[in-house]
Amino acid sequence: MIASSISRRLCRGLAVVALALATPFASGAPLPGADQIVTKTLPNGLKIVVWPDKDIPNVAMFTFYRVGSRNERPGITGISHFFEHMMFNGTSTRPPGEFDRVMEANGGRNNAYTSSDVTVYQNWFPASATELIFDLEADRMRNLDFNPEKVESERQVVYSERRSSVDNDNLGTLAEQMQATAFVAHPYQIPTLGWPSDIEGWKIQDLKDYYTKYYAPNNATMFIVGDVSPEAIFRLADKYLAGIKAQAAPEPVTTKEPEQPGERRIRIVREAQTPIVAMAWHSGAAKDRQTRVMEVLLSILGSGDSSRLHQRLVEHEQAAVEVGTSLDQGFDPGLAWIYAIVPPGGDPARTEALIDEEIARMAKDGPTPAELTKARNQALAAFWHGLETISGKAQALGTFEVFQGDYRKMFDMPAEYASITADDLKRVASQVLTVNNRTVGVVVPKADGAQGGAQ
Amino acid sequence: MNALRTYALTALAALALGVGVAHADGAEGVRLPKFERVTLPNGAQLVLMEKHDTPLVSLSAMIPGGALGDAPGREGTASLFGDLIQKGAGTRDAAQFAEAVESVGGALSAGADTESVNLSASFMAKDVDLMIELASDVLQRPRLAPEEFEKVRSLAVQSIAAAKDSDPRALVGEYGDAWLFHGHPYGRPTDGNEQTLAQVTLDDVRRYYAEQVGGDRLILAVVGDFKAADMKRKLAAAFGKWRAAGAAIPIAPPPPAWQGRRVLLVDKPGATQTYFWLGSVGASRTDPARTAQSVVNNVFGGSFTSMLNSELRIKSGLTYGANAVFSRARQPASFSIRSYTQTDKTVEAIDLALATLDRLHRDGLDATALAASQQYLLGQFPPTLETNGQLASRLTDLAFYALGPDDVDGYATRVRSVDVPAAKATIERSFPVSGNLAIVLIGDAAKIGAAVAKYGPVTKMSITDPTYYPAAAQ
Repeated sequence: MIASSISRRLCRGLAVVALALATPFASGAPLPGADQIVTKTLPNGLKIVVWPDKDIPNVAMFTFYRVGSRNERPGITGISHFFEHMMFNGTSTRPPGEFDRVMEANGGRNNAYTSSDVTVYQNWFPASATELIFDLEADRMRNLDFNPEKVESERQVVYSERRSSVDNDNLGTLAEQMQATAFVAHPYQIPTLGWPSDIEGWKIQDLKDYYTKYYAPNNATMFIVGDVSPEAIFRLADKYLAGIKAQAAPEPVTTKEPEQPGERRIRIVREAQTPIVAMAWHSGAAKDRQTRVMEVLLSILGSGDSSRLHQRLVEHEQAAVEVGTSLDQGFDPGLAWIYAIVPPGGDPARTEALIDEEIARMAKDGPTPAELTKARNQALAAFWHGLETISGKAQALGTFEVFQGDYRKMFDMPAEYASITADDLKRVASQVLTVNNRTVGVVVPKADGAQGGAQ
Repeated sequence: MNALRTYALTALAALALGVGVAHADGAEGVRLPKFERVTLPNGAQLVLMEKHDTPLVSLSAMIPGGALGDAPGREGTASLFGDLIQKGAGTRDAAQFAEAVESVGGALSAGADTESVNLSASFMAKDVDLMIELASDVLQRPRLAPEEFEKVRSLAVQSIAAAKDSDPRALVGEYGDAWLFHGHPYGRPTDGNEQTLAQVTLDDVRRYYAEQVGGDRLILAVVGDFKAADMKRKLAAAFGKWRAAGAAIPIAPPPPAWQGRRVLLVDKPGATQTYFWLGSVGASRTDPARTAQSVVNNVFGGSFTSMLNSELRIKSGLTYGANAVFSRARQPASFSIRSYTQTDKTVEAIDLALATLDRLHRDGLDATALAASQQYLLGQFPPTLETNGQLASRLTDLAFYALGPDDVDGYATRVRSVDVPAAKATIERSFPVSGNLAIVLIGDAAKIGAAVAKYGPVTKMSITDPTYYPAAAQ
């Protein structure tokens, strides 16, 4: 969905990094230090990818678990994200709070996020704390404990998180409802934060089952970037992580969303000054070539002040305060999003019609050569910005390894983007961005809604 | 960035914490990488730092003045100036300008802060000449076109309305500053409000440009993949002849201390949580005790395991987050405690925040907490100076506040020098007591109005009012 991953703490920087690295595009120039990336897979199935980088005396360690709200079912929706919170709340060897206290007292900081597809644990620390962090990470992978009092208080923390990012945020509310409407079969319909009655209902046994099934070394991959040597990292991995037992592979998610037979519409009447219009189309999975094409398509339509939708809706027609796009890139086919915040008193139907016109124009005529070049250059710059930090590098490695099956795919992206043609964009615009394939959501201010005139 | 060197845990800290990790010895700390400063004949200050690990260049510019230069009742003028200069400059109209930036994958943005107009840009190194041309155009040759002015002004007003429909965390500080600093320049809305933006004219913006923007005030830093000698020549050619600003730089007086407790209740009907902001006058950017304040505040409301987050989130589950922040400017700006909780827990959460502040004053910090805070701040410092953009904005910040490189190079020493008595003195001097707080609440007034009267006299306003300060109390 538009806010596709839910962080343990408010963290503005993360979304930017994740977005930048979703669209790499290298110039063919060698990546400094990329030849030093080394991997090792422990006998229990845990794969570790190390990228030494001595720029600053710090380390970024990201652990990706292949579990998210896509693995849930009615009754336990939101439990992947709740579980993420519980990973900080005590083990059989360390009481609740100790993980954070010890990490911070040794100069380290952490966060975590959960999406429909994955749960990712992030540690940022001075290189001097590397062994301690391995100890902490291994402890919670092996010995997690579920203190009943902590389960109850953390349940309230998650509820508070939901109130801010969904209940008290109109775009957040709309996106959640659209996600649940666009998918009738596939578990991508489940909001990562969970439905309120499930937030109230998660049981300790649910958490224990989840831990056994998904928090196994063979279901995780670890990415370490920074002031480290691979030999030292692998020594620590042998010492702290190799003894953790593998588990049977979790059952795969097999449900495929059936083709959408016709447009779906929802309308939400809220206390508001600004109406919102959003559209979401069924698109591809992260590894599909069509997803690269869609990235470029959405970039030309809606990324930056020179984009078609910004120019038309914001600059020329004053039909939007802001336009934006977003593209799900998960294991299974997700949604491509376009949204517009409509000025107070504005007519969302008019804004919607203008978006339709711009999509039709793209489907008919395709992009200009200059637009294609621009989209490639933007992706290239975003790629380099992502690689400015050890944290960005860890996120990039993880994204490619987990969603594309190999971190080295990162380096194939230049060729893949270069191969995208104007005809590709025309084809995807005309075949994917169709009326039948979309869900349209509108937020109508209460005062206007009384007239029922928004659509 | 090899000039950034490692921090090491001290043996003492390790003992105090009872953790068994290996420590390197030494305490060199982080140092700013080598850079060069040049002042051009027209007074413009340039700062250059080469960094070659990515093919990128970042630029950061500050022009002292900022929203303090707005005429009374026309708040938002400097902010609209920042918006408008990106909408056509030099040979390019608004659309051509956006195209020029984005077609090469660049980024350029401008805006106003309370005491400066800021510009930042980031481009691929091969496009650095274009970056300099565009930055030079927006500052020296903005078109300030009437049709674009009307658009940026409408958008500014509409964006405030949109923000009021979104997560209240983004706006609570606007109300906080208005309430805490009412009558002082820091209480004026930096980006304007719906009422003042409606009053700003293009003539105001043009006057602002003539009086408050010019080469004599320019501070410009460039960091990245270039040769300093070339860059210096190019920047001197681009900015060396820029005219001076017509008026003096406005300087705010020190704000008066806040006494007692008064409550501003901003009604957001239907809100399921109450967002609270407990503020007082804090400390300036150049306060000699700034590092001690950071060390103490990290324990009180900075890190995840801080006293505030421990009480309100970790132990009680009242909220997703609670923290405390020193906003810093030339004069002391706000110190604020921020959190939010479900509507029927409003009083419980605020009481707990106040009790936690009382505990800070009563108990101070012990050596263990102090050592942990020092390690945390030292460990997390290098990543704040990792990218070109971070370094460029730090260099302009240092020049703006006339702080030398010691602000960075001496950071480790200053952090380590904070002992228990120094922390106690800092708490007494820089942290408010719970009886002296400007309190702002955004929430469902019908449900919480009566209960929060115990914190002090309550003034109500609606979130849809066109200002951040109640009209009745003007």
